Amino acid sequence: MKTLQSPSGAIAFTRALQEKLLLEMKVFFFTMQEFFWFSVRAFVAIPKAKQYWRDVLDQAKICGVDSLPIVLVSAVSIGALLAIEVGNLLEDFGAKTMLGRSTALSVIRELGPLLMGLMLSARFGSRNGAELGAMQISEQIDALRAFGTDPIAKLVTPRLVAALIMFLPLTAFSDFAGLQSAAYMAEHYHRLDPGIFWNAVYPRLVAKDFVVGFLKAPVFAMIITLVSCFNGFSARGGTSGVGRSTIKGIVVSSGLVLIANFYVSKIVLENM
Amino acid sequence: MIELRQVGLKYGEREILKNVSLTIKDNTIKAILGPSGVGKSTILKLMLGLIKPNNGQVIVDGTDITNMNETSLYAIRRKMGMVFQGNALFDSMTISQNLGFFLRENMKLPEEEISRRVAEQIQFAGLEGYEEQLPESLSGGMRRRVAIGRAMIFKPHMILFDEPTAGLDPVSSKKILSLISSLRKNNNLGAVIVTHIIDDVFNVADSVAVLYKGEIIFDDVTEKLHEADHPFICSILSDKILEL
Repeated sequence: MKTLQSPSGAIAFTRALQEKLLLEMKVFFFTMQEFFWFSVRAFVAIPKAKQYWRDVLDQAKICGVDSLPIVLVSAVSIGALLAIEVGNLLEDFGAKTMLGRSTALSVIRELGPLLMGLMLSARFGSRNGAELGAMQISEQIDALRAFGTDPIAKLVTPRLVAALIMFLPLTAFSDFAGLQSAAYMAEHYHRLDPGIFWNAVYPRLVAKDFVVGFLKAPVFAMIITLVSCFNGFSARGGTSGVGRSTIKGIVVSSGLVLIANFYVSKIVLENM
Repeated sequence: MIELRQVGLKYGEREILKNVSLTIKDNTIKAILGPSGVGKSTILKLMLGLIKPNNGQVIVDGTDITNMNETSLYAIRRKMGMVFQGNALFDSMTISQNLGFFLRENMKLPEEEISRRVAEQIQFAGLEGYEEQLPESLSGGMRRRVAIGRAMIFKPHMILFDEPTAGLDPVSSKKILSLISSLRKNNNLGAVIVTHIIDDVFNVADSVAVLYKGEIIFDDVTEKLHEADHPFICSILSDKILEL
């Protein structure tokens, strides 16, 4: 019997591992290739969004209006928390008057868009993955193709356009709510005069701060929509397959949102 | 007319179809018979260009669609209607919205014409009074009839049926089969029926192709099926319902 201890067993094990790795790499590159063409087709179909304006409006309501409560809740809680923690830290250095500046930068540049991206990845991304996955499993996507309708133009592009439109105002609302809750906590927890708080916010914010924050919205819109829709379209294997593809969509898009958040900040801050 | 010429298809290492050749003439009903999982539904998807074969050709009305791109295929696909095994109705739309959906999507028809065609299909499928219901509130047989109505909405030359009576009670099955027969009689339509139920073949098909282990082992008029001496065909003729 071959075991790992014997040389032939070790060689066989290494070969099997090598083959498995090669197969995994092949699958990964094929998936990337498919994702690339899927994304290209979604963008190429943007002019057709006019034909599907009702779908665009529906999706804008789903990802915009309906997502507003969760985005506001996360923005308010993170703004309040930031004000408490950063305020405590600044107090040690006698620099509590800088609370407005530091929370504004954190919220507008980083946490506002990031939290919104993560919340929408969970809310909008999961909905896309589950809905399109269920359509794929029940052959509704094949039916669209069989009757001469481009499923990407009908199902993906309206979601993409809606997300590109709605993520910007959502970022603005998220920033506004985060700052308001930070100002509230500064006044009521740290006993900081609102005038001092806001005076450290407005005059010191520069264009670069808004560019960093608001550039993330369209980037996150593309990542969340395309990744979740692609995973929905790739669902196989019944209801458990829909679950798997939905989870995969959320995990991958959340991870990519975090990575994109870092790179957008880095690129803009280094070049502006 | 639909032709498959020496079509082969592999999923990874698994060979699904081996040099399959089939011809389906207009205004005839052809059944493709075989056990579950043998690749019968795959043949229908090949005919629509939903999947591409590894080798061979798929010809629809003299046009080779084997390597045609998706956009060019849409026009070809509208010549055929497809009834999917699970019906593939849009579950968030009412019956009339399901029937009118592809007319609104793909044809620049006035709304009156769309309503007229939808009403025609509602009547054909015997679903008067159910126009505003969602598919989930209908029985399996009714949903199948909606799917047949939807397949006919473009007035195609040929309708492809994937297991049209699978999962239906005997009465609903009978209704569906008589609906299929009436398609040719009243609408001059051809049909391809993929099934594993041999009674369906004898009830509606003019000719039958038997698919076994990825190969066509019989392709002739239905009556000649009794003369076939292949052991698999002999076994299915005695058991009637095909098992794996």
